[in-house]
Amino acid sequence: MTRADVIIVGGGIMGCSIAYHLARRGMRRVVVLERSHIASGATGRCGAGVRMQWGTKPNCLVMKESIRILEGLEQELSYPHGIGFKQKGYLFLAHSKAQLIQFQKNVQLQNSLGIPSEIVSPKDMKRIAPLLDTTGVVGGSYCSKDGHCDPFHTTRAYALAATRLGATLLQYTELQSVTKSAEGTFKLTTSAGEIEAPVLVNAAGAWSGYVASMLGVNLPVYSERHQILVTEQVERVLDPMIISLHEGLYCQQTPDGSFIMGLGDPNEPKGLDQGHSWQFLFAVSKKISRLLPDITGVRILRQWSGLYNMSPDRQAVLGAVDDVPGLYVACGFSGHGFMMAPAVSESMADIILGNTPRVAIDVYGLDRFKNGNLFYEPAVV
Amino acid sequence: MRIERHPILTFTKGAKVQFYFEGEPLEGYEGEPIAAALHAAGIRCLRHSPVRNRPRGFFCAIGNCSSCLMVVDGVPNVRVCVEKLRAGMDVRRQKGKGDLNVSD
Repeated sequence: MTRADVIIVGGGIMGCSIAYHLARRGMRRVVVLERSHIASGATGRCGAGVRMQWGTKPNCLVMKESIRILEGLEQELSYPHGIGFKQKGYLFLAHSKAQLIQFQKNVQLQNSLGIPSEIVSPKDMKRIAPLLDTTGVVGGSYCSKDGHCDPFHTTRAYALAATRLGATLLQYTELQSVTKSAEGTFKLTTSAGEIEAPVLVNAAGAWSGYVASMLGVNLPVYSERHQILVTEQVERVLDPMIISLHEGLYCQQTPDGSFIMGLGDPNEPKGLDQGHSWQFLFAVSKKISRLLPDITGVRILRQWSGLYNMSPDRQAVLGAVDDVPGLYVACGFSGHGFMMAPAVSESMADIILGNTPRVAIDVYGLDRFKNGNLFYEPAVV
Repeated sequence: MRIERHPILTFTKGAKVQFYFEGEPLEGYEGEPIAAALHAAGIRCLRHSPVRNRPRGFFCAIGNCSSCLMVVDGVPNVRVCVEKLRAGMDVRRQKGKGDLNVSD
């Protein structure tokens, strides 16, 4: 039986970054368990966007801090390959007066927290994104400090930094069962043997509900497939991420020149299906051709899907699980976990070590589902 | 250079047509891959690679690699190994990742 101080289940951005921050704070035996390879789940399948434009104060504050951290992350983690962080903005499209009023509320909140977002007219939007067809668009919101970050490089940067600090990353190692001993130690059976630790962090993304159920904990989260595609590379023609909440559509041109786009399907069933469909290809091509007619001829290279881990208020679920001392959870990110990891992982590490985190995340606690303190995030695709 | 006789395949040539490479007129057979016409005319460099700007030539010939991406009639990233030749085509070497035609 191997002994550790903490075991983190899940080698996505969340698990790797929490491992880094725990190791950096002096925790000696940090172990990350990953069934496949790092970033093989939602992290490596996401749309790679990072933004401060949110509709609730906690998300704004977390993301303002995350983007500040990303600005210096390559240096912090001594990662020589680059994490692909580019601040070319995020442009939200309003297709109705009601939507624009919601954006005005969001921007007011964002500005009050020091986030440099603004309401823009269709004319401004043409200037920011000349490719955009603004027919039917009444306005929007824009923040030039939002942008893109490479999920694979960022996760790898955290994982390498964590292992340099002594953490152990066990890839291709599957968690098979967990029990809690009378002394309060978690005993894990994995495909590579048994391992025990007094602290267990559930950062298993789409599978976090399943991992929690091994300990008899019922997390109020479920998973949902979201489809996405990438095109061939062309020279840069589109700066900001374009988001239409009305269409459930987002599209950005990555620094290497490909377009990444995804479309939410309101009829998507709950579950762990990671397949993809021609219906998605058809629907997204049709919508994007209307919004960005000039990219109609760009060839699609491949499509895939990833799993959002959804919570009832589309907000992350973070912190200690009160019923099981030593158990922590970082899940339920509802499609925006990658971008939140830089700030959230630091706060998670501080909470696990009993420190006061720089960015408070207590509103994301599990107790909100008992107290009814849900806070619904409006700005989710 | 063209394969004239093949033990299994028969090649039926289309009509001889004129097209343009880098603005210069060349001749090829209608319906053959653009790359075949260029190769027959002795053109070996089809594009320059986007990152290191290295010359790239005819390679996989089945539309899988990115070696023969050219600008054809203003459209970038055309795989000339699988694109059929038509009379009057304007074929150009591509530099970089290809410029999208953007309307005003």
